[in-house]
Amino acid sequence: MKPVRQAVLILLVALIPAGVTAVVHPRRPPWSGETLAPGEKKLKTVLSWGSNALWVDARSRPAYEAEHVPGALLLNLEEWDSLFPRFLDQWSPERKVVVYCDSKSCEMSHEVAARLERSGFSSVYVLKGGWEEWKKAAK
Amino acid sequence: MRTSFFILLLSIFAGSAHGQLVFDQPEQSFKAKPEQESIVAKYRFTNSGKESVKIGNVQTSCGCTVASLKKTDYAPGESGEIEAKFTFGGRVGRQEKAILVNTSETKDKPIVLRLVVDIEDQISIQPESVFWQVGEQPDPKKIEVTVADNAPVKILSVVSDNPSIKAELSEVKPGKEYEIQITPTDVSRQAGATLLIRTNYPQQNPQTRYAYARIK
Repeated sequence: MKPVRQAVLILLVALIPAGVTAVVHPRRPPWSGETLAPGEKKLKTVLSWGSNALWVDARSRPAYEAEHVPGALLLNLEEWDSLFPRFLDQWSPERKVVVYCDSKSCEMSHEVAARLERSGFSSVYVLKGGWEEWKKAAK
Repeated sequence: MRTSFFILLLSIFAGSAHGQLVFDQPEQSFKAKPEQESIVAKYRFTNSGKESVKIGNVQTSCGCTVASLKKTDYAPGESGEIEAKFTFGGRVGRQEKAILVNTSETKDKPIVLRLVVDIEDQISIQPESVFWQVGEQPDPKKIEVTVADNAPVKILSVVSDNPSIKAELSEVKPGKEYEIQITPTDVSRQAGATLLIRTNYPQQNPQTRYAYARIK
């Protein structure tokens, strides 16, 4: 049993610096899993922008027509040429563009945000958690 | 002590005796031709385990990719195929899509298949839109149109749908680089124009691309 006791002792000793690192290290990994990818914003942040946020729904037309964030514009890559002019009419330089799609795992919001950035728009963000997050908050 | 160590090892490696799917090519890359609208990738797999495997569901990371399979249950040694159709829908450049396969053996950790497609954009328009603020100087702004190397495309003309916002096309590098100069004649109030960029490709149904001007 001596080796087992030694192994447990080593583990316990190693736990002390590990614990200190987890609490005070400047580049410690987050515990909550609430990390934001570049350009992502939390719903709480976006809501604080009020009417300054221009909501863009990057999902398919049927999904948008079924339900969407109030006031959101439909803008997806599939119908870009027909939808983009309406976006341009609604956009103004002081507004922040917030793009969303279904959930955390969908990519369409990032794709639409990237295309908007390539088109020269600077304040473009992606809603973390997308429509799923909005629905959860609305309940 | 030895017995417990053996039991521990056994429990760690027990999973490999169960059914498991082995994919021939879990990552596939394609180069799409300009006239293509979609691509179909086939992911062939074999159940290399000793028990049958049930594929619960196959999810994709984008609504633009639809994955399908003919059946869900695979006996040991049996092979099958997952077909993924990626519809480009205006996407250009390098595209990476993930296909997540959930099986009876991988409940919380799906098998990830990857589809990488390089979609060549024959014409690049930068920027896609230009703006003036109401009241500012109506200085001309430029949009650059670049034709990809070896692309058999020519820009024929540019037409503005609003006579108060003029567009003029010039060829910077013959057949390769063009410049559109956009000049508003009146910036005292909000206005907008769609610029129709006409090409000669493909011959049967030549494409028109778009750029936009707005006075906000």
